[in-house]
Amino acid sequence: MKIMTCPINGPRPVSEFFYWGEMRPMPDPDTCSDDAWADYVFNRNGAPGVKKEWWCHTASNTWFVAVRDTEKDQVLRTYLYGEQP
Amino acid sequence: MNAVTSARPVSDVAHATCLGIADLSARARAGAKGPGTAAWLAGLGLPLPARPNSWLALPEGGLIARLGNTEYLIEGNAALVESVLRAPRAAGVYPVLRQDAAFALCGSRVNELLLQVCNVDFRCLAADPALVLLTSMAGVGVTVLRSGDIANPVFRLWCDGTYGHYLATTLLEIAGELGGGGIAPDLLP
Repeated sequence: MKIMTCPINGPRPVSEFFYWGEMRPMPDPDTCSDDAWADYVFNRNGAPGVKKEWWCHTASNTWFVAVRDTEKDQVLRTYLYGEQP
Repeated sequence: MNAVTSARPVSDVAHATCLGIADLSARARAGAKGPGTAAWLAGLGLPLPARPNSWLALPEGGLIARLGNTEYLIEGNAALVESVLRAPRAAGVYPVLRQDAAFALCGSRVNELLLQVCNVDFRCLAADPALVLLTSMAGVGVTVLRSGDIANPVFRLWCDGTYGHYLATTLLEIAGELGGGGIAPDLLP
């Protein structure tokens, strides 16, 4: 069984969690170039590596950030949004 | 019901010792969440659990559970729950509709049932009785806490009301296999 650590609920089986994609900071639509905006809206980075991702512990509806190595599928850190990683 | 036949079935008492499941869905409860909730509840005179995912018994009967950082569940005393529901809300306080199905599990074989339906080992609650666990049981998101003493633990269980029938049927079926079954709430230790 894969275990993931929720920042509030502690280690739980990964079946209790839901993945909501990579964390992608939004560029300011008023000041960024059209290319930068189009890149943000349409393109996704599928290359493996260490990424920040949104995850949710569904049993408690706790949303948090997981730093995950998508190549090795190892969760390196989890923390609540707004906290220091 | 005929008064002559209203005597408690002997099997109920046996179930309570072995593995009993009581339906407490009808108990009054209130829920609120949001950044202003802790201060608002404290202003209403309620004691607050200090850390997320913990609970306290209320002096008037019932309990208050802190689910996550800023969400609270109050259950028990109908007058108290009513006063919380009627109190004017402050800024940053959002009501949470609590139409949960609620159960209580007791008996010597309760852990055998829990091991079959959940990944969490609930014996960890013996070491920290103030803990509230939010987890998945038989595929349903549940809130679990332990009351009662060490020798006779009672596990309280809440889930979304629409899953209540499924969860109750599933638990009762396993309880039946283990020699237990449904009991009246007043038989809980």
